[in-house]
Amino acid sequence: MDTATTLLAAIEGNIATVGYGLAAIGPAIGVGIIVGKTVEAMARQPEMSGRLMITMFIGVAFAEALAFIGIATYFFMV
Amino acid sequence: MNTQAILKRILLWSAILAGLVAVIGGIVGFAVAGTAGLLGAVVGTAVAALFGALTALSILLAIKVSGGDMFSGAFFGIVLGGWLVKFIAFIALIFVIRDADWINPIAAFVSIVAAVVGSLIVDLVVIARSRQPIIEDDRPDESTLGRPAGQR
Repeated sequence: MDTATTLLAAIEGNIATVGYGLAAIGPAIGVGIIVGKTVEAMARQPEMSGRLMITMFIGVAFAEALAFIGIATYFFMV
Repeated sequence: MNTQAILKRILLWSAILAGLVAVIGGIVGFAVAGTAGLLGAVVGTAVAALFGALTALSILLAIKVSGGDMFSGAFFGIVLGGWLVKFIAFIALIFVIRDADWINPIAAFVSIVAAVVGSLIVDLVVIARSRQPIIEDDRPDESTLGRPAGQR
């Protein structure tokens, strides 16, 4: 028996699910930081909460854009 | 212009942009890959526009439910809970439509990217052009004799 070509282990399934995991890590950390910092800023200056809400929206929109493109890339292109 | 007005304007312009991306993507998709390309572009744009708009909708709903008080718990519960549910729904939807043979996956992917990047540009332009005051105060209310609403 040729040991060099012996298969020791095999991974079955769809690699896109690994891609989903990778695409979720970054935006999850990003949204956590955005919301945490918004709460911190609001605790310091509650009267600015209107502007902070809009700034938070922009941050969340950018983070989720990364997630959308990442997930779509793995599911459509792999 | 207050927060709700800005978010509503973002929703309006994002919908207009999604319509444009769907039309242009549909024409290009039809020219390249026939009916499957057309459907791929339209479905991809619709998915990206719908899931992109849900963030602004969730913030609008959260402001309404929490009464503008971001520390009420309901605010971040709705915004972040909506975010989580949205991504689960997005993955489930992508699972379903990726294996469908009536859409072209490349057309769907390109239109998703175009709609997402376009909606980011729209968000930034609308916010940059809106004149939001640094400090928002409650307006005086007739029923409270000129004091801001909520104070007695």
